[in-house]
Amino acid sequence: MRIYEHEAKQLLRQAGVSVPGSELASTAAQAQEAAQRLGGPVVLKPQTMIKARGKAGLIAFADTPQEAGQAAGELLGREHAGEKIDTLLVEAKVGFDQELYLGITVDYTEGCPVFIASSEGGVEIESVAQEHPERVIKRSISPGQGLTKEQAGEIADFLCPPKDGAVDRSDELRRIIAALYGVYTKFDCEMLEVNPLVLAGGSFLALDATAAIDEDALFRQAEMVRPRGQSEAEFELEKDHRKRGWTFLRMEGDIGILSSGAGITMAILDLMRAGGGRPANFLDTAQMNRQGIYDAFHLFLDDPAIKTVLVNIFAGLNRCDDLALGIQDFMTEYRPSFPVVVRMVGNREDEGREILRQVGIEAIAGLEDSVTQVIKITESLS
Amino acid sequence: MSIIAFKDTKVLVQGITGSAARHHTKNMLAYGTRIVAGVRPGAGGQEVEGVPVFNSVAEACASRPIDASILFIPAAGVKAAALDAMENGIKLVVIVTEHVPLQDAMAIMEAKRRLGATIIGPNTPGMISPPEKTMLGFVPARYFRPGPVGLASRSGTLTYEFVSRLTAAGLGQSTCIGVGGDRIVGLRFREALRKFQDDPQTEAVVLVGEIGGTMEEEAAELVAGGAVTKPVVTYVAGHTAPEGTKVGHAGAIVSGTRGTMKSKLAAFERAGIGVALEPAQVVKLLQEALK
Repeated sequence: MRIYEHEAKQLLRQAGVSVPGSELASTAAQAQEAAQRLGGPVVLKPQTMIKARGKAGLIAFADTPQEAGQAAGELLGREHAGEKIDTLLVEAKVGFDQELYLGITVDYTEGCPVFIASSEGGVEIESVAQEHPERVIKRSISPGQGLTKEQAGEIADFLCPPKDGAVDRSDELRRIIAALYGVYTKFDCEMLEVNPLVLAGGSFLALDATAAIDEDALFRQAEMVRPRGQSEAEFELEKDHRKRGWTFLRMEGDIGILSSGAGITMAILDLMRAGGGRPANFLDTAQMNRQGIYDAFHLFLDDPAIKTVLVNIFAGLNRCDDLALGIQDFMTEYRPSFPVVVRMVGNREDEGREILRQVGIEAIAGLEDSVTQVIKITESLS
Repeated sequence: MSIIAFKDTKVLVQGITGSAARHHTKNMLAYGTRIVAGVRPGAGGQEVEGVPVFNSVAEACASRPIDASILFIPAAGVKAAALDAMENGIKLVVIVTEHVPLQDAMAIMEAKRRLGATIIGPNTPGMISPPEKTMLGFVPARYFRPGPVGLASRSGTLTYEFVSRLTAAGLGQSTCIGVGGDRIVGLRFREALRKFQDDPQTEAVVLVGEIGGTMEEEAAELVAGGAVTKPVVTYVAGHTAPEGTKVGHAGAIVSGTRGTMKSKLAAFERAGIGVALEPAQVVKLLQEALK
């Protein structure tokens, strides 16, 4: 779960990492007042989930409060990549010489956190890492020990090699590196990134910060759960899905898919697209029962784009007849306008088939056949 | 033969008094698994399906030899339970629970390396060795038959789908392992492949992958390097899935271009591994490989 820049900066500030002075604004007038209070030139940054805001031309600079108000007026309300800009971070503009990159993420292959740093931060860090791997330092961290003093020292020296006559900044860097790792573990981050960290006026400042919190850890990070870039209704729906253990992603198509298990659902999407069909969603649920399948059908009920629904049941541990009853419950109660195609095999298959016949559904045994069938019906409806 | 779990593997069930645990304990016992003890703090002295329950892993281990543990524990308690098992000397731990926090999974993997244990999962239906009549998990046993095919899969539901097709085609299995659907899992494809290579009964291996992660690439590199000489057939779900957009740069710096479908298919091709582009091709490719 990604969080906003200003939230990530708040976590960093609480951990003792300096960030530029800033205020949030959701109107042009607020932005102007914020700039007035901050004094001097400001940067206006949309608080959205949009990636690469700078490259998209969504970051504005203003020298005076009046300019800030005007720039805010132009940014607020704009839509970009399906997201509306409704909040800006108005931040004191900071001059700097060098941009550093600091990031922590998970090395999924090794199963441990990895700290990454480079003295060439900024928006091109990925190409720096690719073309000049020697300019990037990576250190695997032991989850038990945490980031060691030696590792923090190594990273700090790599970023700012000790030089005769120059001010030694490694202590401050070491402290920032350790603080970053502290935030990463305390808030169950799956990634935390400061890019860039700059040297301004003799001390380091985090100019931008990105963080994502592990969705599976939200039960112990409850204070971080709040709506971001979504309506209250969407937020509540997402919470409900999380409680049920559902991963539901609405896509552009018109064939609803009701199938538990990420692997088989992806395989169905592949087969469907290869056959010219347009799946409307991805769904991953825990093992289904009568109530669960009845509930899941509601995902498609008020969606006008849904033309058909494909149900896939492989009842290895659960039972076809129980699940068929859930489908029957739904069909009898709602009489949906969309035809339903059911692929069903497994325990008590014959009993399940008989129940579905009572609501006019003839179950199909083959996975591929069911996909072909639902595509055919969908095409006939267009 | 099989790999990892055998008919004499003595199994502990952690969290045995929960309703799902009771149900699956009954099924595992019926299949032939040697479940010798259960753990549930506060329930010591009770019995579940005739299996004695202990208050702690330490108590259970002190009372009898135990080789493996399967956890039926909610996500928030998985880290403590898995560490408890490993620190008491248990060398095989199956974690079926899904939604285990990443940082907990990382702590478990570190303990696994330190203590020389094997972890299967998290987020797996477990594993089954049909020739040994041993199941640690909750796969639908009636679809499995003893035979020459080893299978390792990132997806439980696709495991059932493929195994039912293999069995229908007369291709039984040596061992089938759900390695787990999470981003961090213990036993990976490369380790499963090594074990299948060393198992005399396994004649061919099926790997069921998914888009994302690097397990498929690692397996391909192992085969390309000559460490695996048995035929390997793969299916990877997610051909048409949009490549996930990464947040920030850190992930891309660590994994580079690995993890994409293109990278997986290219790695398999370099290794000469048969790729089934559709589920139906898996059985055909296996039949050709076993000729």
